[in-house]
Amino acid sequence: MANKQPPCAGPAQDLASDCPVQPASADPAANPLKTTRRDFLRAGGMLSMSSLMGTAALMTQSDNANAATEWAEHFQKNYRLMTPEEKNEARLRLERRYSDEYGKKVAVDTTEAQPGMLMGYALNIRKCIGCRRCVHACVAENNQSRGTRPGEKIEWIQVLRMERGKFEQEKMNHGYPEGLGIQVGGNAYTPAGQVLEGQYRYNPEKVPEADATYMPIACMQCEKPPCVKVCPVRTTYREADGPVVIDYNWCIGCRMCMGACPYWARRINVTTPVLPKEEMNPVTHYLGNRPRMRGVVEKCHWCLQRSRHGRYPACVEVCPVGARKFGNLLDPQSEVSKILERKNVFRLKAELNTFPKFFYFYD
Amino acid sequence: MKKLATVSLILALCGGAFYAVSAAEKAADPAAAPKEAAPKAPVECFESRKGASEVTQREIKPGWPNVKCSPTTGAALWYGDPFDGTVPMGKMPQLDIPEGQAVIKPRSEKLALMPMCGTACHNGVGPTFTPPTLPKGKKPAPVPTMAAMVPDLANLQHGRGRIWCLDCHHTTQRNKLVDHYGDPVSFDQPQLLCGKCHGDKLRDWRDGIHGKRIGEFVSTGKKRWFTCTECHNPHNVQDGARNRGFVQLQPEPSPQLPRGMANADHEKLHAVGH
Ligand code: SF4
Ligand code: SF4
Repeated sequence: MANKQPPCAGPAQDLASDCPVQPASADPAANPLKTTRRDFLRAGGMLSMSSLMGTAALMTQSDNANAATEWAEHFQKNYRLMTPEEKNEARLRLERRYSDEYGKKVAVDTTEAQPGMLMGYALNIRKCIGCRRCVHACVAENNQSRGTRPGEKIEWIQVLRMERGKFEQEKMNHGYPEGLGIQVGGNAYTPAGQVLEGQYRYNPEKVPEADATYMPIACMQCEKPPCVKVCPVRTTYREADGPVVIDYNWCIGCRMCMGACPYWARRINVTTPVLPKEEMNPVTHYLGNRPRMRGVVEKCHWCLQRSRHGRYPACVEVCPVGARKFGNLLDPQSEVSKILERKNVFRLKAELNTFPKFFYFYD
Repeated sequence: MKKLATVSLILALCGGAFYAVSAAEKAADPAAAPKEAAPKAPVECFESRKGASEVTQREIKPGWPNVKCSPTTGAALWYGDPFDGTVPMGKMPQLDIPEGQAVIKPRSEKLALMPMCGTACHNGVGPTFTPPTLPKGKKPAPVPTMAAMVPDLANLQHGRGRIWCLDCHHTTQRNKLVDHYGDPVSFDQPQLLCGKCHGDKLRDWRDGIHGKRIGEFVSTGKKRWFTCTECHNPHNVQDGARNRGFVQLQPEPSPQLPRGMANADHEKLHAVGH
């Protein structure tokens, strides 16, 4: 394996994930000691494999191939520590397993980040009409659980409905606090919905409603993501091209990241995900929309399986008003760069210094 | 799963093995029945604006539809092929894109649905009635033939009474728009006309800030551009509760309720009394 490593000294190195100077976020795969550690682990695994495989097969009541897959998955490393060959093995393993499970040819992509790409997102808050098409496009694309029992329905995007505030003549002499007669302030203002305090389950006949504003939220793909800081097994991390991703195989379901995320972006599969065969999207990415298992956390990853191949995320494509914009922040000609240059933008909870790459803007 | 297995086991022991199997199958996949029926009737959904662009669902390869439609609202929810049914946009002033990288969905085919308009009157030269029924200039004048066909002609919202039919539509060519110099503009390129007044929007649209594009996001990538009229109805631009040029539509279903809650009324309670 060591002899297959591409030369790391040359300036032309780009996708070589094994190079110590890779521009990724502190890539642990760069650790030169990894070879020994992995070989040790694998050797240990191999010894006991033959004897335990029979047991595993008995326990899962399935054929040998499936058991072997499961067994191999137990010895799979953190995605960032895998060599390209190991990633390929993992990919083939998953493709076999998913194709079997969903009865169609499932592709698991492992395309790496491209140099010169830093994904960014912008959303026109004035345009959003609250139709929730983005929410459902996301579900269609990303293989979320769609059952009906509690916890079986997972959606990554939430659209907040916020009431508009207004000052009113009739409330001019309402004191504050109201009813106590102590006048420390006025109460003529009916407050507008505040950020992150709103209605998610609004269901009028038609949107947009005259008295409401809508604010979709999902993972903001922070540059300094608190979720990454707290993950005890380091299975969630920022990819070199921007998105914060999760290696679902290493997630232990501790939900630390869910608590750390200030944007309520993360969801956990408390049940075995319900994903009907015919609705399953067979084009997947290892770090993206491949089917998840029970007990792992998931969230928006900007449709990695699409965006790594240059395609817009699913939510961008279905928004009927064109409120959603996606592009390369490093390219001055991209839609997002033009928005940052020309429009008024803000980031949600900017005071937390998470530096989201998701911007809200308005005309 | 375990529970299911137990149930079927018990039933099987009672001698109802056949029923148990069919019940288990049904329970395992409750959505199967309606899904199977769906592909038979052609599913059609609308994209941005109802009546502007509809797509018919079809398989472009096995198990891969060109579009997925919402069963609730009939809206397009997912694109399997963003370039389905598109043609090159053609030249746009101040837009330097390689041929074929910008595509649009043509509207002209739809206009051919009303061929009779183009035979008798809007045939390129005008009708030969005496007295002439087609106004000569652009000055607003009552057009009785049209008033009968288009009921809201008299209270056209666009421009709040400042513009009328022939400011945008070509007098003699039914299938063409007209720009300020009297030159015909294709219905596939309404931006050439709309941008004459809404210049700021045209600039933003050209840069991808206003409006919608689907396809490849990189700035050099191939994109399907949505043109003005695919989202806005030029005749009732101020429709919609917010007067923002976008008509109201039915939203997609709301998220799951929190466990044990019968409705979402708790969301409407405010911490601050008012
Ligand atoms: S929005 Fe939440 S989940 Fe996404 S990167 Fe930031 S902290 Fe992590
Ligand atoms: S699809 Fe667009 S308009 Fe509809 S809720 Fe999402 S962002 Fe808002």
